[in-house]
Amino acid sequence: MTPCRRSRLSLAALLAAAMPLVALAAGANPALAQSAPGRQPAPKGAEVYFHYPLDGLRVPERFTVRMGLKAMGLAPAGTEWSNTGHHHLLINTDPGPPDQPIPADYNNIHLGNGQSEVVVTLPKGRHTLQLLLGDHNHVPHDPPVMSRKITVYVR
Amino acid sequence: MHRVRLGVMSVLLTLAVVATAFVPPASAQEAARPRSKAPADARLDFVDIADGARLPGKFVVRFALSGMEVAPAGLPQPNAGHHHILIDTELPPLDQPIPSDFNHLHLGSGQTEIEVVLPAGRHTLQLLFADHDHVPHDPPVMSRRITVEVGEEPQEQARVAAAPGARVFFVDLVDGATIPTRSIIRFGAEGVALSPAGTKHPNGGHHHLLINTALPPLDHEIPSDFNHVHFGRGQTEAEITLPPGEHTLQLLLGDHDHVPHDPPLMSPRIRVRVVEGEQLASAAQPATRPDGRPALTPAPPDAAVYFIYPRDGDVIFPSSTVRFGLRNMGVAPAGVAKPNTGHHHLIINAPTPPLDEAIPADLNHIHLGGGQTERRITLPRGEHTLQLIFTDENHVPHDPPILSERIRVTVAPGGKRPEKRR
Repeated sequence: MTPCRRSRLSLAALLAAAMPLVALAAGANPALAQSAPGRQPAPKGAEVYFHYPLDGLRVPERFTVRMGLKAMGLAPAGTEWSNTGHHHLLINTDPGPPDQPIPADYNNIHLGNGQSEVVVTLPKGRHTLQLLLGDHNHVPHDPPVMSRKITVYVR
Repeated sequence: MHRVRLGVMSVLLTLAVVATAFVPPASAQEAARPRSKAPADARLDFVDIADGARLPGKFVVRFALSGMEVAPAGLPQPNAGHHHILIDTELPPLDQPIPSDFNHLHLGSGQTEIEVVLPAGRHTLQLLFADHDHVPHDPPVMSRRITVEVGEEPQEQARVAAAPGARVFFVDLVDGATIPTRSIIRFGAEGVALSPAGTKHPNGGHHHLLINTALPPLDHEIPSDFNHVHFGRGQTEAEITLPPGEHTLQLLLGDHDHVPHDPPLMSPRIRVRVVEGEQLASAAQPATRPDGRPALTPAPPDAAVYFIYPRDGDVIFPSSTVRFGLRNMGVAPAGVAKPNTGHHHLIINAPTPPLDEAIPADLNHIHLGGGQTERRITLPRGEHTLQLIFTDENHVPHDPPILSERIRVTVAPGGKRPEKRR
Protein backbone atom coordinates (compact mmCIF):
# COMPACT_ATOMS: atom_id res chain seq x y z
CA MET A 1 0.00 0.00 0.00
CA THR A 2 1.15 3.48 -0.76
CA PRO A 3 0.77 4.93 2.75
CA CYS A 4 3.53 2.70 4.12
CA ARG A 5 5.94 3.59 1.37
CA ARG A 6 5.05 7.22 1.79
CA SER A 7 5.60 7.07 5.50
CA ARG A 8 9.10 5.70 5.12
CA LEU A 9 9.83 8.33 2.55
CA SER A 10 8.45 11.09 4.71
CA LEU A 11 10.27 9.79 7.75
CA ALA A 12 13.52 9.89 5.87
CA ALA A 13 12.78 13.34 4.55
CA LEU A 14 11.79 14.42 7.98
CA LEU A 15 14.96 13.19 9.62
CA ALA A 16 17.00 14.90 6.97
CA ALA A 17 15.06 18.09 7.53
CA ALA A 18 15.18 17.85 11.29
CA MET A 19 18.91 17.25 11.56
CA PRO A 20 20.10 20.77 10.64
CA LEU A 21 17.32 22.24 12.74
CA VAL A 22 18.50 20.36 15.83
CA ALA A 23 22.06 21.33 15.12
CA LEU A 24 20.98 24.92 14.63
CA ALA A 25 18.98 25.03 17.84
CA ALA A 26 21.76 23.40 19.82
CA GLY A 27 24.37 25.66 18.29
CA ALA A 28 22.39 28.83 18.81
CA ASN A 29 21.33 28.18 22.34
CA PRO A 30 22.76 25.05 23.89
CA ALA A 31 21.29 25.78 27.32
CA LEU A 32 17.78 25.98 25.91
CA ALA A 33 18.18 22.79 23.93
CA GLN A 34 19.35 20.90 26.99
CA SER A 35 16.70 22.24 29.34
CA ALA A 36 13.87 21.29 26.97
CA PRO A 37 11.24 19.09 28.62
CA GLY A 38 11.65 15.35 28.03
CA ARG A 39 10.05 14.14 24.84
CA GLN A 40 7.51 11.34 24.79
CA PRO A 41 8.61 8.33 22.76
CA ALA A 42 6.51 7.62 19.68
CA PRO A 43 5.55 3.97 19.17
CA LYS A 44 6.98 2.16 16.18
CA GLY A 45 4.87 2.58 13.08
CA ALA A 46 3.15 5.72 14.36
CA GLU A 47 2.09 7.85 11.46
CA VAL A 48 -0.11 10.89 10.94
CA TYR A 49 -1.64 11.54 7.55
CA PHE A 50 -4.27 13.55 5.71
CA HIS A 51 -7.59 11.93 4.86
CA TYR A 52 -8.49 15.20 3.20
CA PRO A 53 -7.24 17.18 1.39
CA LEU A 54 -4.62 15.25 -0.54
CA ASP A 55 -1.47 16.66 -2.10
CA GLY A 56 -2.11 18.87 -5.12
CA LEU A 57 -5.86 19.10 -4.61
CA ARG A 58 -7.91 22.14 -5.55
CA VAL A 59 -10.10 23.06 -2.59
CA PRO A 60 -12.74 25.71 -1.84
CA GLU A 61 -11.86 28.64 0.42
CA ARG A 62 -13.52 26.95 3.37
CA PHE A 63 -12.82 23.28 3.78
CA THR A 64 -12.52 20.59 6.40
CA VAL A 65 -9.12 19.09 7.06
CA ARG A 66 -9.49 15.48 8.24
CA MET A 67 -6.60 13.76 9.96
CA GLY A 68 -5.71 10.13 10.30
CA LEU A 69 -3.45 8.67 12.96
CA LYS A 70 -1.94 5.21 12.85
CA ALA A 71 -0.70 3.19 15.83
CA MET A 72 -1.41 5.97 18.33
CA GLY A 73 -4.37 7.59 20.05
CA LEU A 74 -5.61 11.12 20.55
CA ALA A 75 -5.81 12.90 23.87
CA PRO A 76 -6.62 16.50 24.73
CA ALA A 77 -3.65 18.75 25.43
CA GLY A 78 -2.66 18.58 29.08
CA THR A 79 -3.62 14.92 29.38
CA GLU A 80 -0.47 12.87 29.94
CA TRP A 81 -1.15 9.43 28.53
CA SER A 82 1.28 7.09 26.84
CA ASN A 83 1.10 6.68 23.08
CA THR A 84 -1.23 9.63 22.64
CA GLY A 85 -0.99 13.20 21.44
CA HIS A 86 -2.99 15.90 19.76
CA HIS A 87 -2.93 17.17 16.21
CA HIS A 88 -1.38 20.40 14.99
CA LEU A 89 -2.04 21.71 11.53
CA LEU A 90 0.89 23.70 10.14
CA ILE A 91 -0.18 26.10 7.43
CA ASN A 92 2.41 27.72 5.18
CA THR A 93 5.13 27.12 7.73
CA ASP A 94 7.87 24.65 8.60
CA PRO A 95 7.99 22.70 11.84
CA GLY A 96 10.13 24.32 14.51
CA PRO A 97 12.84 22.55 16.52
CA PRO A 98 11.39 19.16 17.50
CA ASP A 99 12.33 19.55 21.16
CA GLN A 100 10.38 22.78 21.62
CA PRO A 101 6.63 23.20 22.11
CA ILE A 102 4.81 23.90 18.85
CA PRO A 103 3.99 27.63 18.77
CA ALA A 104 0.34 28.65 18.77
CA ASP A 105 -0.40 31.21 16.08
CA TYR A 106 -2.26 31.60 12.80
CA ASN A 107 0.11 29.22 11.08
CA ASN A 108 0.19 26.53 13.75
CA ILE A 109 -3.34 25.41 14.54
CA HIS A 110 -3.63 23.43 17.77
CA LEU A 111 -6.39 20.86 18.02
CA GLY A 112 -6.10 20.83 21.77
CA ASN A 113 -9.35 19.06 22.59
CA GLY A 114 -8.36 15.92 20.72
CA GLN A 115 -10.23 16.81 17.53
CA SER A 116 -9.57 14.81 14.40
CA GLU A 117 -10.85 17.40 11.95
CA VAL A 118 -10.92 21.18 11.66
CA VAL A 119 -12.55 23.65 9.29
CA VAL A 120 -10.13 26.20 7.86
CA THR A 121 -10.69 29.22 5.67
CA LEU A 122 -7.78 30.19 3.45
CA PRO A 123 -7.38 32.94 0.88
CA LYS A 124 -7.24 31.96 -2.79
CA GLY A 125 -3.93 30.63 -4.00
CA ARG A 126 -1.31 28.05 -3.15
CA HIS A 127 -0.88 26.90 0.45
CA THR A 128 1.08 24.20 2.19
CA LEU A 129 -0.33 22.01 4.94
CA GLN A 130 1.47 19.66 7.29
CA LEU A 131 0.39 17.67 10.32
CA LEU A 132 2.48 17.35 13.44
CA LEU A 133 1.46 15.48 16.57
CA GLY A 134 2.30 17.08 19.91
CA ASP A 135 2.26 15.52 23.38
CA HIS A 136 0.45 16.90 26.43
CA ASN A 137 2.95 19.78 26.48
CA HIS A 138 2.62 20.45 22.71
CA VAL A 139 6.13 19.04 22.23
CA PRO A 140 6.60 16.69 19.25
CA HIS A 141 7.28 13.05 20.05
CA ASP A 142 10.61 11.32 19.61
CA PRO A 143 10.86 10.67 16.68
CA PRO A 144 8.34 13.35 15.63
CA VAL A 145 5.04 12.00 14.30
CA MET A 146 4.63 14.23 11.29
CA SER A 147 3.00 14.05 7.89
CA ARG A 148 4.53 14.98 4.58
CA LYS A 149 4.04 18.62 3.63
CA ILE A 150 1.28 18.84 1.04
CA THR A 151 0.28 21.64 -1.30
CA VAL A 152 -3.32 22.66 -1.94
CA TYR A 153 -4.70 25.22 -4.33
CA VAL A 154 -7.57 27.30 -2.97
CA ARG A 155 -9.83 28.34 -5.82
CA MET B 1 4.53 33.95 4.52
CA HIS B 2 0.82 33.94 4.14
CA ARG B 3 -1.36 34.94 7.00
CA VAL B 4 -4.32 32.69 7.23
CA ARG B 5 -7.73 33.23 8.57
CA LEU B 6 -9.45 30.40 10.31
CA GLY B 7 -13.06 29.69 10.82
CA VAL B 8 -14.48 26.93 12.89
CA MET B 9 -17.74 25.88 11.34
CA SER B 10 -20.67 25.19 13.53
CA VAL B 11 -23.19 23.15 11.65
CA LEU B 12 -26.58 24.27 12.83
CA LEU B 13 -29.37 21.85 12.25
CA THR B 14 -32.83 22.92 11.35
CA LEU B 15 -33.66 22.09 14.92
CA ALA B 16 -31.58 25.04 16.02
CA VAL B 17 -34.27 27.32 14.67
CA VAL B 18 -36.16 26.71 17.87
CA ALA B 19 -33.12 26.98 20.08
CA THR B 20 -31.84 30.18 18.55
CA ALA B 21 -35.21 31.85 18.36
CA PHE B 22 -34.84 35.49 19.12
CA VAL B 23 -36.79 36.99 21.99
CA PRO B 24 -37.15 40.75 21.67
CA PRO B 25 -36.76 42.49 25.03
CA ALA B 26 -39.94 44.04 26.38
CA SER B 27 -38.60 47.59 26.03
CA ALA B 28 -38.13 47.09 22.31
CA GLN B 29 -41.86 47.04 21.68
CA GLU B 30 -42.37 50.83 21.70
CA ALA B 31 -39.15 52.51 20.58
CA ALA B 32 -38.33 52.46 16.88
CA ARG B 33 -34.98 50.82 16.22
CA PRO B 34 -32.31 52.32 13.98
CA ARG B 35 -32.56 50.71 10.56
CA SER B 36 -29.51 49.74 8.51
CA LYS B 37 -29.30 51.22 5.03
CA ALA B 38 -29.79 49.00 2.03
CA PRO B 39 -28.69 49.78 -1.53
CA ALA B 40 -31.63 50.79 -3.70
CA ASP B 41 -30.93 48.00 -6.19
CA ALA B 42 -30.93 45.17 -3.62
CA ARG B 43 -33.40 42.46 -4.65
CA LEU B 44 -34.78 39.41 -2.89
CA ASP B 45 -37.02 36.75 -4.39
CA PHE B 46 -37.90 33.08 -4.26
CA VAL B 47 -36.01 30.56 -6.37
CA ASP B 48 -38.29 28.21 -8.28
CA ILE B 49 -41.43 28.98 -6.30
CA ALA B 50 -43.93 31.08 -8.24
CA ASP B 51 -47.12 32.71 -7.08
CA GLY B 52 -49.91 30.13 -7.18
CA ALA B 53 -47.48 27.17 -7.21
CA ARG B 54 -48.63 23.76 -6.01
CA LEU B 55 -46.16 22.31 -3.52
CA PRO B 56 -45.76 19.04 -1.60
CA GLY B 57 -46.20 19.10 2.17
CA LYS B 58 -42.44 19.36 2.62
CA PHE B 59 -40.47 21.68 0.39
CA VAL B 60 -37.27 23.67 0.33
CA VAL B 61 -37.34 27.44 0.13
CA ARG B 62 -34.28 28.97 -1.53
CA PHE B 63 -33.48 32.64 -1.79
CA ALA B 64 -32.27 34.73 -4.69
CA LEU B 65 -30.53 37.73 -3.17
CA SER B 66 -28.65 40.35 -5.14
CA GLY B 67 -26.90 43.50 -4.03
CA MET B 68 -26.39 42.33 -0.45
CA GLU B 69 -24.58 39.66 1.53
CA VAL B 70 -25.84 37.04 3.96
CA ALA B 71 -24.31 37.17 7.45
CA PRO B 72 -25.32 35.45 10.69
CA ALA B 73 -27.56 37.42 13.04
CA GLY B 74 -25.73 39.41 15.69
CA LEU B 75 -22.85 40.54 13.48
CA PRO B 76 -23.23 44.18 12.48
CA GLN B 77 -21.94 44.38 8.92
CA PRO B 78 -22.73 46.91 6.19
CA ASN B 79 -24.88 45.68 3.31
CA ALA B 80 -25.55 42.37 5.01
CA GLY B 81 -28.26 40.60 6.92
CA HIS B 82 -30.10 37.35 7.26
CA HIS B 83 -33.26 35.88 5.80
CA HIS B 84 -36.73 35.58 7.32
CA ILE B 85 -39.73 33.77 5.91
CA LEU B 86 -43.16 35.12 6.76
CA ILE B 87 -45.76 32.38 6.58
CA ASP B 88 -49.46 33.22 6.56
CA THR B 89 -48.87 36.65 8.02
CA GLU B 90 -48.77 40.35 7.11
CA LEU B 91 -45.57 42.39 7.07
CA PRO B 92 -44.48 43.19 10.64
CA PRO B 93 -43.64 46.84 11.58
CA LEU B 94 -40.48 47.69 9.65
CA ASP B 95 -38.80 49.67 12.44
CA GLN B 96 -38.98 46.78 14.90
CA PRO B 97 -37.15 43.47 15.14
CA ILE B 98 -39.05 40.81 13.21
CA PRO B 99 -40.95 38.68 15.73
CA SER B 100 -39.87 35.11 16.21
CA ASP B 101 -42.73 32.68 16.19
CA PHE B 102 -44.27 29.99 14.06
CA ASN B 103 -45.18 32.53 11.38
CA HIS B 104 -41.80 34.27 11.21
CA LEU B 105 -38.94 31.88 10.53
CA HIS B 106 -35.50 33.32 11.28
CA LEU B 107 -32.52 31.97 9.41
CA GLY B 108 -30.23 33.50 11.94
CA SER B 109 -27.09 31.53 11.23
CA GLY B 110 -26.95 32.80 7.67
CA GLN B 111 -28.66 29.83 5.99
CA THR B 112 -29.56 30.32 2.35
CA GLU B 113 -32.18 27.59 2.21
CA ILE B 114 -34.56 25.93 4.60
CA GLU B 115 -36.95 23.01 4.51
CA VAL B 116 -40.49 24.02 5.37
CA VAL B 117 -43.34 21.65 6.20
CA LEU B 118 -46.86 23.00 5.95
CA PRO B 119 -50.25 21.36 6.34
CA ALA B 120 -52.33 20.92 3.19
CA GLY B 121 -54.15 24.02 2.03
CA ARG B 122 -53.52 27.58 0.91
CA HIS B 123 -50.63 29.48 2.47
CA THR B 124 -48.89 32.77 1.89
CA LEU B 125 -45.12 33.12 1.86
CA GLN B 126 -42.99 36.24 1.87
CA LEU B 127 -39.27 36.78 2.30
CA LEU B 128 -37.94 39.65 4.39
CA PHE B 129 -34.26 40.44 4.86
CA ALA B 130 -33.13 42.03 8.13
CA ASP B 131 -29.94 43.28 9.71
CA HIS B 132 -27.92 41.86 12.61
CA ASP B 133 -30.59 43.12 15.00
CA HIS B 134 -33.45 41.46 13.06
CA VAL B 135 -34.68 44.91 12.00
CA PRO B 136 -35.57 45.21 8.28
CA HIS B 137 -33.34 47.49 6.22
CA ASP B 138 -34.23 50.91 4.88
CA PRO B 139 -35.63 50.53 2.21
CA PRO B 140 -36.81 47.03 3.17
CA VAL B 141 -35.35 44.21 1.10
CA MET B 142 -38.22 41.80 0.61
CA SER B 143 -39.98 39.65 -1.91
CA ARG B 144 -43.58 39.79 -3.08
CA ARG B 145 -46.07 37.94 -0.94
CA ILE B 146 -47.00 34.80 -2.87
CA THR B 147 -49.79 32.31 -2.32
CA VAL B 148 -49.03 28.62 -2.66
CA GLU B 149 -51.25 25.57 -2.59
CA VAL B 150 -49.84 22.78 -0.44
CA GLY B 151 -51.06 19.36 -1.47
CA GLU B 152 -52.00 16.37 0.59
CA GLU B 153 -49.67 13.42 0.33
CA PRO B 154 -51.61 10.38 1.42
CA GLN B 155 -49.20 7.71 2.53
CA GLU B 156 -50.12 4.47 4.22
CA GLN B 157 -47.33 3.39 6.51
CA ALA B 158 -46.92 0.15 8.39
CA ARG B 159 -46.81 0.90 12.10
CA VAL B 160 -44.32 -0.65 14.46
CA ALA B 161 -45.91 -2.43 17.43
CA ALA B 162 -45.23 -0.88 20.81
CA ALA B 163 -44.01 -3.11 23.64
CA PRO B 164 -46.60 -3.60 26.41
CA GLY B 165 -45.98 -1.27 29.33
CA ALA B 166 -43.84 1.16 27.32
CA ARG B 167 -44.56 4.85 27.90
CA VAL B 168 -43.16 8.32 27.38
CA PHE B 169 -43.51 11.21 29.79
CA PHE B 170 -42.20 14.67 30.69
CA VAL B 171 -39.51 14.70 33.35
CA ASP B 172 -40.10 17.24 36.15
CA LEU B 173 -42.88 18.99 34.25
CA VAL B 174 -46.49 18.56 35.29
CA ASP B 175 -49.78 19.81 33.96
CA GLY B 176 -50.33 23.44 34.96
CA ALA B 177 -46.63 24.19 35.55
CA THR B 178 -45.24 27.70 35.09
CA ILE B 179 -42.07 27.91 33.01
CA PRO B 180 -39.92 30.80 31.71
CA THR B 181 -39.87 31.79 28.04
CA ARG B 182 -36.65 29.88 27.54
CA SER B 183 -36.79 26.47 29.16
CA ILE B 184 -35.25 23.09 28.93
CA ILE B 185 -37.83 20.36 28.50
CA ARG B 186 -36.75 16.82 29.39
CA PHE B 187 -38.29 13.73 27.89
CA GLY B 188 -38.53 10.38 29.63
CA ALA B 189 -39.10 6.98 28.07
CA GLU B 190 -39.70 3.65 29.75
CA GLY B 191 -39.84 0.18 28.24
CA VAL B 192 -38.71 1.43 24.87
CA ALA B 193 -35.25 2.20 23.51
CA LEU B 194 -34.30 5.54 22.05
CA SER B 195 -32.96 4.96 18.57
CA PRO B 196 -32.13 7.67 16.05
CA ALA B 197 -34.47 8.31 13.14
CA GLY B 198 -33.58 6.12 10.21
CA THR B 199 -32.27 3.32 12.42
CA LYS B 200 -34.64 0.36 12.52
CA HIS B 201 -35.02 -1.04 15.99
CA PRO B 202 -37.58 -3.69 17.02
CA ASN B 203 -38.55 -1.70 20.10
CA GLY B 204 -37.21 1.78 19.57
CA GLY B 205 -38.19 5.24 18.51
CA HIS B 206 -37.39 8.90 18.91
CA HIS B 207 -39.21 11.75 20.60
CA HIS B 208 -41.41 14.37 19.02
CA LEU B 209 -42.60 17.38 20.96
CA LEU B 210 -46.02 18.62 19.92
CA ILE B 211 -46.46 22.30 20.78
CA ASN B 212 -49.92 23.86 20.73
CA THR B 213 -51.34 21.25 18.43
CA ALA B 214 -53.64 18.26 18.50
CA LEU B 215 -52.35 14.76 17.76
CA PRO B 216 -51.42 14.32 14.10
CA PRO B 217 -52.85 11.32 12.17
CA LEU B 218 -51.30 8.29 13.87
CA ASP B 219 -50.80 6.24 10.73
CA HIS B 220 -48.71 8.91 9.02
CA GLU B 221 -45.28 10.36 9.40
CA ILE B 222 -45.39 13.00 12.14
CA PRO B 223 -45.14 16.39 10.40
CA SER B 224 -41.96 18.39 10.92
CA ASP B 225 -42.64 22.02 11.66
CA PHE B 226 -42.67 24.41 14.57
CA ASN B 227 -45.57 22.61 16.17
CA HIS B 228 -44.02 19.17 15.74
CA VAL B 229 -40.39 19.25 16.78
CA HIS B 230 -38.37 16.13 15.93
CA PHE B 231 -35.55 14.77 18.04
CA GLY B 232 -34.25 12.42 15.42
CA ARG B 233 -30.91 11.74 17.04
CA GLY B 234 -32.46 10.27 20.14
CA GLN B 235 -32.16 13.44 22.22
CA THR B 236 -33.79 13.39 25.62
CA GLU B 237 -34.08 17.12 26.17
CA ALA B 238 -34.51 20.32 24.24
CA GLU B 239 -34.31 24.02 24.90
CA ILE B 240 -37.43 25.69 23.61
CA THR B 241 -38.48 29.30 23.49
CA LEU B 242 -42.16 30.11 23.80
CA PRO B 243 -43.91 33.48 23.97
CA PRO B 244 -45.57 34.28 27.33
CA GLY B 245 -49.03 32.80 27.74
CA GLU B 246 -50.70 29.42 27.84
CA HIS B 247 -49.31 26.60 25.72
CA THR B 248 -49.87 22.89 25.40
CA LEU B 249 -47.11 20.32 25.17
CA GLN B 250 -47.30 16.64 24.33
CA LEU B 251 -44.72 13.96 23.60
CA LEU B 252 -45.22 11.43 20.83
CA LEU B 253 -42.70 8.74 20.01
CA GLY B 254 -42.11 7.97 16.34
CA ASP B 255 -40.35 4.97 14.81
CA HIS B 256 -37.43 5.09 12.34
CA ASP B 257 -39.82 6.53 9.75
CA HIS B 258 -41.34 9.07 12.18
CA VAL B 259 -44.60 7.09 12.27
CA PRO B 260 -46.18 6.63 15.72
CA HIS B 261 -46.23 3.13 17.18
CA ASP B 262 -49.28 0.90 17.50
CA PRO B 263 -50.64 1.63 20.08
CA PRO B 264 -49.09 5.13 20.05
CA LEU B 265 -46.53 5.93 22.75
CA MET B 266 -47.44 9.39 23.91
CA SER B 267 -47.62 11.48 27.02
CA PRO B 268 -50.78 13.20 28.24
CA ARG B 269 -51.16 16.64 26.69
CA ILE B 270 -50.15 19.11 29.39
CA ARG B 271 -50.84 22.80 29.74
CA VAL B 272 -48.02 25.14 30.76
CA ARG B 273 -48.04 28.82 31.56
CA VAL B 274 -45.07 30.68 30.13
CA VAL B 275 -43.95 33.83 31.93
CA GLU B 276 -41.22 36.33 31.09
CA GLY B 277 -38.01 35.43 32.81
CA GLU B 278 -34.69 33.77 32.64
CA GLN B 279 -34.02 30.09 32.74
CA LEU B 280 -35.36 28.18 35.73
CA ALA B 281 -33.37 26.01 38.05
CA SER B 282 -34.73 23.07 36.07
CA ALA B 283 -32.19 23.96 33.44
CA ALA B 284 -29.39 22.71 35.63
CA GLN B 285 -28.13 19.28 34.72
CA PRO B 286 -29.52 16.81 37.26
CA ALA B 287 -26.84 14.71 38.92
CA THR B 288 -28.80 11.51 38.57
CA ARG B 289 -31.42 10.02 36.31
CA PRO B 290 -34.88 9.12 37.67
CA ASP B 291 -33.70 5.55 38.30
CA GLY B 292 -30.74 6.72 40.39
CA ARG B 293 -27.95 6.12 37.89
CA PRO B 294 -25.55 9.02 37.19
CA ALA B 295 -26.73 11.46 34.53
CA LEU B 296 -25.47 11.05 30.97
CA THR B 297 -22.62 13.31 29.89
CA PRO B 298 -23.95 16.13 27.71
CA ALA B 299 -22.68 16.42 24.14
CA PRO B 300 -23.02 19.30 21.67
CA PRO B 301 -26.14 18.78 19.55
CA ASP B 302 -24.17 18.97 16.31
CA ALA B 303 -21.54 16.38 17.20
CA ALA B 304 -21.39 13.41 14.85
CA VAL B 305 -19.32 10.30 14.31
CA TYR B 306 -19.00 8.67 10.90
CA PHE B 307 -16.99 6.17 8.88
CA ILE B 308 -14.26 7.64 6.71
CA TYR B 309 -13.54 4.08 5.53
CA PRO B 310 -15.26 1.79 4.68
CA ARG B 311 -18.54 3.22 3.44
CA ASP B 312 -21.89 1.47 3.42
CA GLY B 313 -21.94 -1.26 0.77
CA ASP B 314 -18.16 -1.36 0.25
CA VAL B 315 -16.35 -4.59 -0.57
CA ILE B 316 -13.29 -4.85 1.67
CA PHE B 317 -10.29 -7.11 2.22
CA PRO B 318 -10.36 -9.62 5.10
CA SER B 319 -7.83 -7.41 6.90
CA SER B 320 -8.86 -3.79 6.59
CA THR B 321 -8.30 -0.61 8.51
CA VAL B 322 -11.53 1.01 9.65
CA ARG B 323 -11.09 4.77 9.92
CA PHE B 324 -13.32 6.95 12.08
CA GLY B 325 -14.35 10.56 11.58
CA LEU B 326 -15.60 12.81 14.36
CA ARG B 327 -17.23 16.21 14.00
CA ASN B 328 -17.50 18.92 16.67
CA MET B 329 -15.96 16.89 19.48
CA GLY B 330 -12.52 15.70 20.50
CA VAL B 331 -10.99 12.35 21.36
CA ALA B 332 -9.62 11.47 24.77
CA PRO B 333 -8.47 8.12 26.16
CA ALA B 334 -11.00 6.22 28.28
CA GLY B 335 -10.92 7.40 31.88
CA VAL B 336 -10.06 11.01 30.99
CA ALA B 337 -13.00 13.24 31.91
CA LYS B 338 -12.92 16.37 29.76
CA PRO B 339 -15.91 18.29 28.39
CA ASN B 340 -16.78 17.57 24.76
CA THR B 341 -14.48 14.59 24.47
CA GLY B 342 -14.89 10.83 24.47
CA HIS B 343 -13.62 7.74 22.73
CA HIS B 344 -14.73 5.52 19.88
CA HIS B 345 -16.31 2.06 19.96
CA LEU B 346 -16.58 -0.13 16.90
CA ILE B 347 -19.56 -2.49 16.97
CA ILE B 348 -19.16 -5.47 14.63
CA ASN B 349 -22.10 -7.71 13.73
CA ALA B 350 -24.12 -6.71 16.76
CA PRO B 351 -27.25 -4.59 17.15
CA THR B 352 -27.03 -1.09 18.57
CA PRO B 353 -26.51 -1.61 22.33
CA PRO B 354 -28.65 0.28 24.87
CA LEU B 355 -27.62 3.93 24.75
CA ASP B 356 -28.07 4.67 28.44
CA GLU B 357 -25.50 2.26 29.85
CA ALA B 358 -21.85 1.32 29.32
CA ILE B 359 -21.04 -0.38 26.01
CA PRO B 360 -20.25 -4.06 26.65
CA ALA B 361 -16.66 -5.13 26.03
CA ASP B 362 -16.38 -8.27 23.94
CA LEU B 363 -15.29 -9.37 20.49
CA ASN B 364 -18.24 -7.61 18.89
CA HIS B 365 -17.78 -4.35 20.78
CA ILE B 366 -14.25 -3.05 20.28
CA HIS B 367 -13.24 -0.29 22.67
CA LEU B 368 -10.73 2.22 21.37
CA GLY B 369 -9.83 3.29 24.87
CA GLY B 370 -6.44 4.71 23.93
CA GLY B 371 -8.00 7.47 21.87
CA GLN B 372 -7.38 5.70 18.56
CA THR B 373 -9.12 6.99 15.46
CA GLU B 374 -8.61 3.90 13.32
CA ARG B 375 -8.49 0.16 13.85
CA ARG B 376 -7.28 -2.75 11.75
CA ILE B 377 -9.75 -5.63 11.85
CA THR B 378 -9.78 -9.10 10.30
CA LEU B 379 -13.13 -10.56 9.33
CA PRO B 380 -14.20 -13.82 7.67
CA ARG B 381 -15.59 -13.81 4.13
CA GLY B 382 -19.18 -12.63 3.84
CA GLU B 383 -21.44 -9.80 4.91
CA HIS B 384 -20.81 -7.87 8.11
CA THR B 385 -22.26 -4.83 9.83
CA LEU B 386 -20.22 -2.06 11.43
CA GLN B 387 -21.33 0.80 13.63
CA LEU B 388 -19.48 3.50 15.56
CA ILE B 389 -20.57 4.74 18.95
CA PHE B 390 -18.75 7.58 20.67
CA THR B 391 -18.96 7.51 24.47
CA ASP B 392 -17.77 9.36 27.53
CA GLU B 393 -14.87 8.34 29.75
CA ASN B 394 -16.99 5.60 31.38
CA HIS B 395 -18.00 4.01 28.04
CA VAL B 396 -21.54 5.39 28.46
CA PRO B 397 -23.01 7.19 25.41
CA HIS B 398 -23.55 10.93 25.66
CA ASP B 399 -26.82 12.81 25.73
CA PRO B 400 -27.70 13.11 22.86
CA PRO B 401 -25.96 9.88 21.87
CA ILE B 402 -23.32 10.13 19.15
CA LEU B 403 -23.43 7.15 16.86
CA SER B 404 -23.01 6.40 13.20
CA GLU B 405 -25.31 4.59 10.85
CA ARG B 406 -24.98 0.82 10.99
CA ILE B 407 -23.22 0.09 7.70
CA ARG B 408 -23.00 -3.16 5.77
CA VAL B 409 -19.74 -4.32 4.20
CA THR B 410 -18.82 -7.43 2.24
CA VAL B 411 -15.51 -9.16 2.85
CA ALA B 412 -14.08 -10.70 -0.31
CA PRO B 413 -10.63 -12.26 0.08
CA GLY B 414 -8.46 -11.02 -2.73
CA GLY B 415 -11.65 -10.12 -4.53
CA LYS B 416 -12.73 -6.76 -5.67
CA ARG B 417 -10.22 -4.15 -4.66
CA PRO B 418 -11.74 -1.49 -2.47
CA GLU B 419 -11.87 1.94 -3.94
CA LYS B 420 -8.46 3.54 -3.62
CA ARG B 421 -8.73 6.26 -1.08
CA ARG B 422 -5.27 7.80 -1.00
